[in-house]
Amino acid sequence: MRTHDVVVVGAGLAGMRAAIAAHEAGVDVALVTKLHPVRSHSGAAQGGINAALGNETEDSTENHTFDTVKGADYIGDQDAIEILCQRAPLEVYQLEHWGAVFSRQEDSGKIAQRPFGGAGFPRTCYAADLTGLVILHTLYTVCVKYNIPTYEEWFVTDLVTDDSGNAVGVVAYDMIHGSIETIGAKAVVMATGGAGRVYRPSTNAHASTGDAMSLALRKGVPLKDMEFMQFHPTTLAANGVLVTEGARGEGGYLLNKDGDRFMSKYAPNKLELASRDVVSRAEATEIMEGRGVDGCVLLDLRHLGRDRIMERLPQIRELAIAFAGTDPIEEPIPIRPGAHYHMGGVHVDNWGAAPHMPGLFAAGECSCVSVHGANRLGGNSLLEAVVFGARAGEASAAYAQDVGEPDVPSNAAAETQDRIEELLLRENGPRQGEIRDELAAVMQEKVGVFRSDGPLREAKATVTELKEKFQGVVVDDKGRTFNTDLIHTIETGYLLDLADTMVTGAIARHESRGAHSRTDFTERDDENWMKHTLAYLDDGEIRLDYSPVTMTKYEPQVRSY
Amino acid sequence: MARQFAYYPGCVAEFSSKELNATTKALAPLLDIELLPMPQATCCGAGDIAEAKPNLYLTLNVRILSEAEEMGADILTICNVCTLNLRRANKMVKEDPRLLEQVNADLVNAGARPYQGTIDVTHLLWYLATEEGLSLLEERGPRGLNGLRVAPYYGCQLLRPSSVMGFEDPDRPQSLERLITALGGEVADYDGKTRCCGFPIILAREEVALKESHVALSGARDAGAQAMVTPCPLCHLAMDAYQRKTEQLMGEEYAMPVLHLPQLIGLALGLPTQSMEFKRHFTPVDDVLETVGA
Amino acid sequence: MASTTFRVFRYQPDSGESESYHQDFRLDHEEKTTILDALLRIQNEQDGTLAVRYSCRSAICGSCACKVNGKTVLACMTQVEEAKAESGADTLQVDPIGNFAPIKDLVVDMTPFWEKFKAVKPFLIPDGPAPDKERLVPKAAMEKVAKESACILCAACYSECNSLAADPEFVGPAAFAWGYRFAADERDAQRKNRAKLYSGDHGIWDCTRCMFCNERCPKGVDPRDAIEKLGAIAFQEKVTKDKGARHAKAFLISMRQGGKLNEQLVGGYTDPVGGVFNAPLALRMLQKGKLPKSPLTHKVKDRDQVTKLIKNVKETI
Repeated sequence: MRTHDVVVVGAGLAGMRAAIAAHEAGVDVALVTKLHPVRSHSGAAQGGINAALGNETEDSTENHTFDTVKGADYIGDQDAIEILCQRAPLEVYQLEHWGAVFSRQEDSGKIAQRPFGGAGFPRTCYAADLTGLVILHTLYTVCVKYNIPTYEEWFVTDLVTDDSGNAVGVVAYDMIHGSIETIGAKAVVMATGGAGRVYRPSTNAHASTGDAMSLALRKGVPLKDMEFMQFHPTTLAANGVLVTEGARGEGGYLLNKDGDRFMSKYAPNKLELASRDVVSRAEATEIMEGRGVDGCVLLDLRHLGRDRIMERLPQIRELAIAFAGTDPIEEPIPIRPGAHYHMGGVHVDNWGAAPHMPGLFAAGECSCVSVHGANRLGGNSLLEAVVFGARAGEASAAYAQDVGEPDVPSNAAAETQDRIEELLLRENGPRQGEIRDELAAVMQEKVGVFRSDGPLREAKATVTELKEKFQGVVVDDKGRTFNTDLIHTIETGYLLDLADTMVTGAIARHESRGAHSRTDFTERDDENWMKHTLAYLDDGEIRLDYSPVTMTKYEPQVRSY
Repeated sequence: MARQFAYYPGCVAEFSSKELNATTKALAPLLDIELLPMPQATCCGAGDIAEAKPNLYLTLNVRILSEAEEMGADILTICNVCTLNLRRANKMVKEDPRLLEQVNADLVNAGARPYQGTIDVTHLLWYLATEEGLSLLEERGPRGLNGLRVAPYYGCQLLRPSSVMGFEDPDRPQSLERLITALGGEVADYDGKTRCCGFPIILAREEVALKESHVALSGARDAGAQAMVTPCPLCHLAMDAYQRKTEQLMGEEYAMPVLHLPQLIGLALGLPTQSMEFKRHFTPVDDVLETVGA
Repeated sequence: MASTTFRVFRYQPDSGESESYHQDFRLDHEEKTTILDALLRIQNEQDGTLAVRYSCRSAICGSCACKVNGKTVLACMTQVEEAKAESGADTLQVDPIGNFAPIKDLVVDMTPFWEKFKAVKPFLIPDGPAPDKERLVPKAAMEKVAKESACILCAACYSECNSLAADPEFVGPAAFAWGYRFAADERDAQRKNRAKLYSGDHGIWDCTRCMFCNERCPKGVDPRDAIEKLGAIAFQEKVTKDKGARHAKAFLISMRQGGKLNEQLVGGYTDPVGGVFNAPLALRMLQKGKLPKSPLTHKVKDRDQVTKLIKNVKETI
């Protein structure tokens, strides 16, 4: 068995940033990823990372904080948001010092910043439309420089706890060698990203299956605010691939079939740059009311001109050509809302520590601090990943320096081995694909942009059915090496758990707030519902509880754009 | 009416593969081509000057383009490397007016003529592999190749990168095959006809280069070719002059005559054998001449 | 609706089969279907043991490079119908990328690729302490490394690299694209050391200029161009001992002498020591009349223009 002081599961932005921070704090930290760090979905982020640098206009961390609090529709924890926004400039400068290739202003050589949704000032730092890729690469080069041990293509199947319930490591399937291995650690940081694959379409990679959230949930750690799923306004109809908000930040228009900039009806001030939930609802409404074009609306970039598009938005142009058959220089791109980011995740504090499990930390999309509340602003996710990734790294390192050697149960790997072998032996039953397809379809239809009680309950019933069906799931590939069928099957189990928390939370929340929009409870209800949902898995059932939102300066106001 | 071209044979065709230059000049009148000399033209730099001084590479090549422009003619090449270098320079300045301005400023400073960006660069193979070119070859060939089994060898730089070259699909080129057939030969097809002969590194990394050559030589041999044909004198040197060395290194035997493209055409069109200077080849072409009936 | 036969490379060490083979799968599909979509459907509907790497399905994670009818592409960005039209075939053969050892089906051992990447020291090595805020970098200077920054490390450029096929230790296109990305970054202080590190055996001068990497790169990185630029940086930093650099120098000397390549010079100058072993070849070349009899090189007309250009053209690398 290998041991490290800190083991970080997931090697995207949050994971690598945590590992770097832990390394700099002087502990022995290792990364574990079911891919390779540079394959992480963080790399698909396009538009940018927010920080109140004030390079384009005057700006302040207070402005950024307020915009985020409002964007979150008032259930973001304001102390955490203050940390996020105050640390933002430092983190962005740190990335630049490490070599990130940010786009620069013409004359000053400073980092360029573009306007983004829900922001009062242009504060989204970008690298053309490859910002996630650039930051991901930058962090990876630092991990290479520091020679941080990385277990590549190790698929984590279990979170291991000792008799007292402390996190003491993980069990993982080494995909290349075909063995089950235990990695013991004094602290475990989860950073496995999102679970967009619960829906279809989704902007998310195939690998975004919410692994850590499910693993934590199964060990008694609650997940917070799971009913809040962000639907990104501009995704390609063919396959859900993302078209960055930056396209609107550069001045793109959203048009309905009559050629109208319909956002003027829904967000007269910010128009296309209102917060994402507002824009997605507007689009969904236009489409539902018959003003769409083939189930989409149109993103028009033609007036930006060839030079601007080639300089600032080259990647999305390639994607539009490849998947929508349209060149945005010549024609508007048909787009529609798609599941993109979920605000919820493993319940952690401002340092990324999980109060329900000593030794467990989480950062990035798989965690919920909460800085995004009911809706996340564009550009704040890359930011959260580095700010709270760093904090989780620091905190987990400090924790590891304090505690003794981890007491890892000797049979941890053996138990997993048995479970997997039992699964592989099964001959008759459904395969994961059909379960996953049905799950994604029901979530898309009944737990989408607009929700109401009837469909939500139907969705819950379907999820319950599917969980039942999953008990008899069969894996086609009985082999040891690189068994992706096995991995997908286990991932489908994760998705089912998470879907259950999402649906259950949605049924219970009788209001509309941020991305959770109900046609039967259309108003925000601060009196009863300005609180976080906590979802526990007790004996196979989801049990809900609630916790208060931390307010510092900002009283809830009417949220209009 | 002869088609006029500014003739750019390149350095190797004039020296260590001078049989190529000689054959091309002898062939031109039979193809209704008038080759105008380019007395000012320097070496294109191969890939080497670009790898040492990229701005100098660009300026020297634009100077060559300008000389042709002054003559009012497109450039005709007979070497893969020259074609890529000239076309690349041409594309760079045609697509970027500011760059052209800078290059012209340097040219004018040195007393040379600025380039307006109006001419094109084409290889003899491209010129002939059109419908008109092929019909011309079919009708002009008194002898024909008499079923000679020929392995086409493209090499690299006449095909890639296709954004610069673009005459045909770089993965499924057909120009040499069509030519061979039009001349009365038989095509010996094989994988490896678009692989590298290694010439660019044959002096600095000989072993690596010869291992590369082996791929095409063995492929052509195993396809039962009686000869290979190539549109590039550098590939010719690698696969002909170095053929014995490759055989020694790889422990193989190829015994493969390698023909320059104009020589293949010359054989079919009945050019006097002497004028094609086969005596300069390392691998004897006697069997080829016998099959063709030369 | 369309129908396609996929002839997929199989290598299944778990099954006891030590040899690889190809297996045919027939699929009915929408007109607009990518190779990746097709492979995943095969995995889902016909054979769950098919192993393939993939994640983002939008050409950014770099997982899914493979060969389709011999041409290296990203499976997620390649339309089945277009691939068929291009190769004029109804069957698509899908193979793993070239120059790597297979682990299982289309999954190859990428270890040498990652090792070579790390070997170029792919991280910023600045001089001195960082400023409080961002280092100011002029827009044009930062844009110098924009192309190379789009590299997604998919290894498509290694798949058909002819130098790599002949020399498995060749460091390779992507690694050098990253090398250039740092050498040309004005915040990096290791330009000369990088030029030294990237020269030598299996380094930049081993690139055979086959241009397959430029042709195949799905992100427009043009790795060969990056290697060329590294050569120019080496010249600027006077790191020119490598035989490959000397070969290029011979061209420059030739230009100064007369404007055309001095072939007698090139051989001897490139490799003054080892070149002795090529004497037999040189002798044969002379005998065959392949070398100019006169040591005086051919001088072009208006040579003074060339001399002035060599002297005055500024290198902006």
